[in-house]
Amino acid sequence: MWRSDLMLCPPPQVAAVAALIFLTCGPTVCAEEILYNRDVRPILSENCFACHGFDHATREAGLRLDTPEGAAAKLESGMVAIKPGSPEESELIRRILSSDHGEMMPPEGTGKRLTKEQIRILSSWIEQGAEYEKHWAFLKPVKADLPASPPNRTDIQQSVESVETSIDLFIQTLLSEKNLQPSPEADRITLLRRVSLDLTGLPPSISEVEEFLTDSESNAEAAYEKVVDRLLRSPAHGERWGRWWLDQARYADSNGYSVDAPRQIWKYRDWVVNALNRDMPFDQFTIEQLAGDLLPEPTDDQRIATGFHRNTQINQEGGIDPEQFRIDSVFDRVATTGTVWLGLTIGCAQCHDHKFDPILQKEYYQLFAFFNNQDEPTLTVYDSGIDASALTKEKKSLEQIMDEQVTASSESLAMWESGLTDDQRRGLSKDVVKILETDKSKRNAVQSRNLFAAGPGGSDEAFQKSFTRAQQIERVLSGGVTTLVMKEMASPRKSTVFTQGDFTRPADEVSCGTPSALPPLQASAGSVNRLDLARWIVSPENPLTARVIVNRVWQQYFGRGIVETDNDFGLQGSMPTHPELLDWLAVDFMEKGWSLKQLHRQIVMSGTYRQSSRARADLAEKDPDNYLLARQRRLRLDAEIVRDVSLSASGLLSGKMGGPPVYPPIPQGVMSLGQANREWKVSAGEDRYRRGFYTFVYRATPPPSMSVFDAPDGYSTCTRRVRSNTPLQALALMNDTAFVEFAEALAKIIQQDGLETAFRRCTSRLPSLEEVAVLKTLDSLSAARVLLNLDETVTRE
Amino acid sequence: MQTENELKNQTRRHFFGECGMGVGSMALASLMAGSSTAAATEQQSGAMAAKAPPFPARAKRVIFLFMAGGPSQLDMFDYKPMLNKLSGEPMPQSFLEGKRFAFMNSSHRTNLLGTRRQFRQHGDCGAWVSDVLPHTASIVDKLTFIKTCKTDLFNHAPAKLFMNTGSGQFGRPSLGSWLTYGLGSESTDLPGFVVLQSGPRGPRGGSVLWSSGMLPTTYQGVPLRNKGEPILNLTTPSLVTTEQQEDVFRAVRELNAQRLALTGDGEIATRINAYEMAYRMQTSAPELMDTAGETKETLDLYGIKDPGESSFARNCLLARRLAERGVRFVQLYHTNWDHHGGPTENLEEHLPSVSRDIDQPCMALIRDLEQRGLLEDTIVIWGGEFGRTPMGEVRESTGRNHHIDAFTMWFAGGGFKPGVSFGETDEFGFGPVDQAVPVRDIHATLLHQLGISHERLTVRTQGLDFRLTGVLPARVVNEVLS
Repeated sequence: MWRSDLMLCPPPQVAAVAALIFLTCGPTVCAEEILYNRDVRPILSENCFACHGFDHATREAGLRLDTPEGAAAKLESGMVAIKPGSPEESELIRRILSSDHGEMMPPEGTGKRLTKEQIRILSSWIEQGAEYEKHWAFLKPVKADLPASPPNRTDIQQSVESVETSIDLFIQTLLSEKNLQPSPEADRITLLRRVSLDLTGLPPSISEVEEFLTDSESNAEAAYEKVVDRLLRSPAHGERWGRWWLDQARYADSNGYSVDAPRQIWKYRDWVVNALNRDMPFDQFTIEQLAGDLLPEPTDDQRIATGFHRNTQINQEGGIDPEQFRIDSVFDRVATTGTVWLGLTIGCAQCHDHKFDPILQKEYYQLFAFFNNQDEPTLTVYDSGIDASALTKEKKSLEQIMDEQVTASSESLAMWESGLTDDQRRGLSKDVVKILETDKSKRNAVQSRNLFAAGPGGSDEAFQKSFTRAQQIERVLSGGVTTLVMKEMASPRKSTVFTQGDFTRPADEVSCGTPSALPPLQASAGSVNRLDLARWIVSPENPLTARVIVNRVWQQYFGRGIVETDNDFGLQGSMPTHPELLDWLAVDFMEKGWSLKQLHRQIVMSGTYRQSSRARADLAEKDPDNYLLARQRRLRLDAEIVRDVSLSASGLLSGKMGGPPVYPPIPQGVMSLGQANREWKVSAGEDRYRRGFYTFVYRATPPPSMSVFDAPDGYSTCTRRVRSNTPLQALALMNDTAFVEFAEALAKIIQQDGLETAFRRCTSRLPSLEEVAVLKTLDSLSAARVLLNLDETVTRE
Repeated sequence: MQTENELKNQTRRHFFGECGMGVGSMALASLMAGSSTAAATEQQSGAMAAKAPPFPARAKRVIFLFMAGGPSQLDMFDYKPMLNKLSGEPMPQSFLEGKRFAFMNSSHRTNLLGTRRQFRQHGDCGAWVSDVLPHTASIVDKLTFIKTCKTDLFNHAPAKLFMNTGSGQFGRPSLGSWLTYGLGSESTDLPGFVVLQSGPRGPRGGSVLWSSGMLPTTYQGVPLRNKGEPILNLTTPSLVTTEQQEDVFRAVRELNAQRLALTGDGEIATRINAYEMAYRMQTSAPELMDTAGETKETLDLYGIKDPGESSFARNCLLARRLAERGVRFVQLYHTNWDHHGGPTENLEEHLPSVSRDIDQPCMALIRDLEQRGLLEDTIVIWGGEFGRTPMGEVRESTGRNHHIDAFTMWFAGGGFKPGVSFGETDEFGFGPVDQAVPVRDIHATLLHQLGISHERLTVRTQGLDFRLTGVLPARVVNEVLS
């Protein structure tokens, strides 16, 4: 956190890389080969590129160190920064060693200083010839040959040999190089609870546990495989992984900013769930969301999918310049697209050329141009089988027929009206009475029709038939659901560079295009649009997308990606801990038709995933942060799943899927924290007990029990949640009325079925004698509250 | 995103390095014994433990009195006789070129509007203060005015975000989060960053204003509520007795400790500590809110008639009580200062009325802190997200538009030079004639007083070291420091 600390204690990925290098080979003992991407670039990027890198506007002394040509060019002083093979003649080395205030590099005042080790690495690299490599993430991934099984296998490894997947070969190769053994497989129940929570966000039921234990007795491997397949088929899978995607889509149910009015876009949320449950190939998943409206004859579903980029905020504050906030939302779309699919910090080039990655400011605005040509309409969608336009037409013609009849029967209507007794009037509906009170000349067609239906038309069979049918159509049509979508404009807006990212300072005009550091965009014909961009993103030539996505899926299972900076694969990002594995997974993912379910299956079937998460003394010393994956990791459950687990344990959980978001009880006064005091009418019936995934989220006043467990706020894309651990979480689980309600239900279960059952519903396992002893001293409500508050209950082990 | 790990490592080091594995039962030793501060401090672990600042500090804590909506400096502090003289005349075109304003398209006129308030010089320093703030006028010799504060954004929500986080973009940590991230908290019984609200509605922008952004939520501001329980979910459920509640805390601790011993996961130790803090908060927060022990003199000083009633005055008193308890950053929001003109927000009626809400309590807070010896290491800040234009805005009644180029804030205590005014605006109060003080300079100065270099307090996200003051050079405004 403090710069000075950072120097003493390098960021973990640096430490990890250093550890990987030196675990087997002491720094002074052998002259190891220094690699640019792995060893040198992180140092230069961190300390030098801001002034001697890609951004020409801030380049000092005409020197750039990010290319070999730049580094070897003659400086004004006549020296060269890097002379391959000769550190002594390299000005760079002299300047980083200098303590002269005017000469030292990085300059005084930047707060940066190289460590001795970093200087040694640079020096050895120059000595070895200063060879540059293209940044790894911009090279197309290649599937390496699978490593052979490590020879030095122990008994533990033998026992899991049968589950040795491709993933395990890569992981174990590195472990065996470091003389580390993987951990044994987790016990059956831990494994079942882990894989259930990971694939569906729900714990296994007691009968599922028992079935798994029975199956395992005859064939453990087959039993596990059966469970994995069942979970991948479960509709809850789409909800659990839908949330993963909605975080990235910055989904919420309100407009954000200060006014934060509610919005309706849950059809998009349901689209995501369905797509994931159907295992829609990820390339198609991408194309439909970024450009579904541009596909030939797009279906409603494909239009709904474009809601991805309608999850931006809308400012409804008085006195704003709407163009400013429209452009802000386009900025957000560019940055989000870059982060989510490309793992690049493209947004950095909004005001200037990127400081570290090869993205020019102009190229940023070429991407901007793709997203600058949309209208932002609302689409009304009907259930399948409903032909809204045919119904509208039918209704119109019915109305015409009825109106003609009403006009023709005006006399009988007038007679009926004047002949009404007070008693008869009282028998009429309120609406009809209101029409009667309206002056005849001021009644509209609808009123006249309704009045006629209540009067003389009531006994006219033909009229009644039309009237009923029209009402029925009306009901069906009003049952349509609106959702926010994208629509390409007929003629594109003019796009320009904005000086300093300021929309009041337009500069050079730009057209759609992609950064030149990445493979060229293949345009279908004529001018390019979002559809071409979407296809380019998922083109097999694109070196980033598949890597970024498999890494982000991996991250969910191990708490960290193979590339730790999952949202930055650029030069400032961390290096992959297992580069060959990442590439193997990425290529395999594309080869298998971008199937996410296949990827999930591949990971959860691996021995690496199935290891125990217990701490180990040898690892605490050699790999305390578990970069090498010699064990699994305990992970606190996501906010929504904390709720789901409690609901499930207490038997209250509703399995209802989809539809409008719901309003479970929240503490009083929460909604008054924002500018507008929004209504929160608590849902009745089973909607009170839906999965956390379906809770309505106002961006400005999110449900406290969600935000306290780090649910993202939907203001910007979130590709990786923080996992905090705070007293406010303790207060929520202890005292929040919702959790007390769950505890009361669980207390009833304790009374009926005993402590052991309740314990199993929370943790899936049987309690130890010591645990029973503690719980037995408590009344059933207290015991239930304890169970819902256990660290284990809210953790996947 | 290395932060998470960095932060957690501290916790892990603490438990595995210093305490050993069987820490669970030990860490909770003070749980049922009541909170002995020494013991509690010793056990305050992890991310929120108080840390010594890297540089000498003049202040330990901050109280930010946020006047939400943008108070009119021209009717309170920045006295411009020329503006009165030329009231009704058009603003000279040379001032307007290249400027953008909120509500550009609405039918406001751009003619100058003189103030209707009476201004007078006060104190030994001779600071100008208008008649809407008689109490503030009585303490000007203790205050430091900066009259050329400058912000970048002129709509409420983005500008509030900017004042709090140094950026108009969402996702950046707020000032209070940065401070607790950098310095931890000295309170073991209360959150390190507390937010209090008063006025007719919540501040525009809501919880994002006290968000921890890319920092862990450990550092986000905790709103103290005016009605009901002071902290969300603080109260033991109604169907549970105190004894049962203690039993539950004890049993959770014991079972978590057993799990810690079995799994060796340091996160469980952190959770055990979080429960301990939660337990202490159940007692300490109601104690904080219970002002029964305050003397009549104190209540009168603040102008509190009914201590049970929520008001800015009561929040000022609570701010002092929070400062006494070592809370690092206290932020008070008072709405509404958005005086555009119109039936509910004009300068004639509503500016005096909202000024009355805050005037005496501000004075009282400064005097109260001073007499308790707290002012010397507490910084009090007064200001809004922006100021208001010299040009009038006439809706049904007069008001002024949002203005970002020059507005007034005041500071007190914590090593600020008392009785000083810094920065001079032009004859209409439209822009600075000497030095503008952008928000980042204000932030840099605050951090400096707390012993932090704004260039060094960073968090790494997406390959960049983010800091509160952003990428443009920021300056500590030494002229206002003693």
